[in-house]
Amino acid sequence: MIIDVSVNGIQRHLKSRNGDRLVDVLKKELGLSSLTADCLQGRCGKCLIFMDGRIVHSCLIPAFKARGSSIVTFEGIAKKPEVMDIEKAFQLTQTQPCSFCHTAKIMTIFDLLSRVPLPNEDDIVEALDMVPCPCSDPIGLIQAVKLAAELRNKRKFNREA
Amino acid sequence: MQFASTIRSPYHRGRNAKVIIDTLPNGFSSILPDDLSAHNIPSLFSEGIPIFASQQISYRGEALGLIIGPDPGICDELAALARVECDEEEPEHEWESFSSSQIVFHYGAEHGDLDAMFAAASTQLKEVYRNGIFDHHYSEPMGALARWDKTTLSIHCATQWPDDLRRRLAGALAISESNIVVHPTEMGRALDGRLWFPSLVAAQAAVASRISGKPVRILYTREEDFLHTTKQARSAINIRSGSDEQGRLLALDIVILINLGAYNPLAPEIVYQAVSAITGIYSCPAIRIEAYAIRSNTIPLGAMGSVGATHAFFAIEAHMNNLAQRYSKHPAEIKALNMLKKGQSIFGAPDLSGDIPFNRIHKELEQISDYPRKYASYELVKKRDPGCREGIVRGIALTLGYQTGRSFSECSGMNLYSVEATLDRELRLLIKTQATIGSESLKAMWRKTAAEILSIHEDHVHFLLPENTHSLPSGPMTLSRGSSLIHALIEKTCRNIQKKRFRESLPISATARTRPSKAKTNPEALFLGAQLLDSASWCGTAVEVEIDALTGKPIPLAVWMVIDAGRIVNVQIALASLRASALSALAFCTANDFDPSESGRKDYIADAGMRIRQLPKIEIEFIEPDRNGAAKGIGELPFITIPAAFYSALTQALGLDPRQLPLKGGEILRLLEGA
Ligand code: FES
Ligand code: FES
Repeated sequence: MIIDVSVNGIQRHLKSRNGDRLVDVLKKELGLSSLTADCLQGRCGKCLIFMDGRIVHSCLIPAFKARGSSIVTFEGIAKKPEVMDIEKAFQLTQTQPCSFCHTAKIMTIFDLLSRVPLPNEDDIVEALDMVPCPCSDPIGLIQAVKLAAELRNKRKFNREA
Repeated sequence: MQFASTIRSPYHRGRNAKVIIDTLPNGFSSILPDDLSAHNIPSLFSEGIPIFASQQISYRGEALGLIIGPDPGICDELAALARVECDEEEPEHEWESFSSSQIVFHYGAEHGDLDAMFAAASTQLKEVYRNGIFDHHYSEPMGALARWDKTTLSIHCATQWPDDLRRRLAGALAISESNIVVHPTEMGRALDGRLWFPSLVAAQAAVASRISGKPVRILYTREEDFLHTTKQARSAINIRSGSDEQGRLLALDIVILINLGAYNPLAPEIVYQAVSAITGIYSCPAIRIEAYAIRSNTIPLGAMGSVGATHAFFAIEAHMNNLAQRYSKHPAEIKALNMLKKGQSIFGAPDLSGDIPFNRIHKELEQISDYPRKYASYELVKKRDPGCREGIVRGIALTLGYQTGRSFSECSGMNLYSVEATLDRELRLLIKTQATIGSESLKAMWRKTAAEILSIHEDHVHFLLPENTHSLPSGPMTLSRGSSLIHALIEKTCRNIQKKRFRESLPISATARTRPSKAKTNPEALFLGAQLLDSASWCGTAVEVEIDALTGKPIPLAVWMVIDAGRIVNVQIALASLRASALSALAFCTANDFDPSESGRKDYIADAGMRIRQLPKIEIEFIEPDRNGAAKGIGELPFITIPAAFYSALTQALGLDPRQLPLKGGEILRLLEGA
């Protein structure tokens, strides 16, 4: 079947078979390398996308459900200044994630900061919990998100001022 | 490129495996053991590990062959459709009472008059301490990409030990090592889950590529990785101690059993590491140790975090706590009484040249964790409510452990690390080492050290890619074993360059290598000798645990660590790495135990370690960082000390001694019910 969907602002007609997961179709048809889907059970968060503005696990969504929707993947936000803030915060706190979860972590932090510009620790923990990571320093990561929020707010404030 | 999916054995054990595949669609083909012999490709690693099992199936899920083709999804479907026949045999899952044919490696040592000391002892205590199977939870599933270019094989693979991969492949495929180029790909924290198994997957991709004449990629799904790749070994450590009226140890009779599953080429190293750690920091005039690596029909099992030392530290610390209970003494009192002191040694090794920093670490740890007050009040609660029926139950415990950077086995290349550095005319430093597969933070630390010694900018320090460093052998990059050795070698080469710098013209090069271990000469003294402790980094850890009244689940509330490890090169990196390891070590204490006899259990996958929302408080302090001393390894310290402290805290909370880790809530509730 063909699924008509907007991906990162471009209208696409994606080929899909019955029972295909959205993540597989996006990867196969569009070669989106930011999707490093791993568990396929909604646990690892490495398939996070925005679907009609909501952050969702694309491994849990049947491809046909995406028909008519607007999807944004990491590739669609990669150049945004908000993402640069997050990257810079990772760098300054020496918490750069590995390449397997890098984009997923950015997606969840990006989502958090667009909803909650001044997140408290509980908000941050809840967001980071979407991309469980057995290998990085959790306290460093929390600091990175706080710093990303600070950088973002400073940049926005300066621009507005 | 061709994709490959693995055909796996549905049997735990059997002989003469036959894979039956119906006609394959165009473009798809199979790679089976017969194809290897038809192409004159040897099919075994040197330790007898088959690239694809055929004559003997050793565990359920063992690779029997591959389906290769242009579409990975269809390859998966075709591999799942393959039928397997074999002469099925009764699997050997039992390993605590084992047959002689199950012994993969044995090491025994005895020192002092054991019988006389047991006869003189006023108290004897005998317990078995068990550890379960635990996954490494590394970030990316196992995989390899192999490509032949006439006679040269190039392999892309995430491995902790590229040198081993090249050596094994050269041996297995009967080609020269110089014809194999290994490109180590990015790897998260592997926690020893990628020491040798990637070599097997790479060999499978390599033979498939040779036979098909095309590049072949194998990439496991997460589920496949969880169910069929190597995990931490299961262990049972039996300790019988004899002690005098005060609680001073007189005799220790120890049997270490490590279940290594179907195969593990590193069995000697794992056994030696466990043996070297089993006496902990304690002195005892008579000791007998029998250590066995046992084979069973389950997935290959092996190292995690601290190679084999975690099991041993956990067992001896748990035993000392039990001893304290037997004497109604405080655990710290019994430990201090039995601690090796300056001028003492065990197993006839040279004497300890300084004191173990027990008091300094202990004092600091007591202070930051508020241990004495908490310990006393939890003891009181336990006395009032022994069955833990009244509500919140907590426990706290301290433990002291150490990390040495030592490998003991004669596994080829295990102890060889080398670094070559060249300072060029533009004052750029080029460092060549196989160990550049380490993380970015490690490289940042090495860069900082080199730049400081040579007074150059950090941006001027470059590392040559590992595929271009074949001439420099390297042991594995485990948690901090390889990295601290490489750090010392980088320091040495840079100092040598600095010495020559104003006498000779640039470019100047220097090379440094580790010296091979002398383990052959006097193993007992080397493994158990006090001098091992002289160069160790030390860590005291306190863990506070709460038992959920409803579910019985043990919840770690806080971890405090006080570390004496000489010079800390970059405190921020050290703290980050220790905190991450602390979480993995806690996950090991609370996770599901993987049951190999029912290895189809998928719910295990759900249990991927500690989540950030379960994060306990973690406080780490370095004491007296020695600005000029050598940098020592610290990465294994959480794995060495946390399980022992967690277990002891749990014992205090429950008033029971479960004698095993990991422990789930249900098990704890059952224990309490039976109490
Ligand atoms: S692939 Fe893991 S959450 Fe979707
Ligand atoms: S999974 Fe990427 S840093 Fe942990």
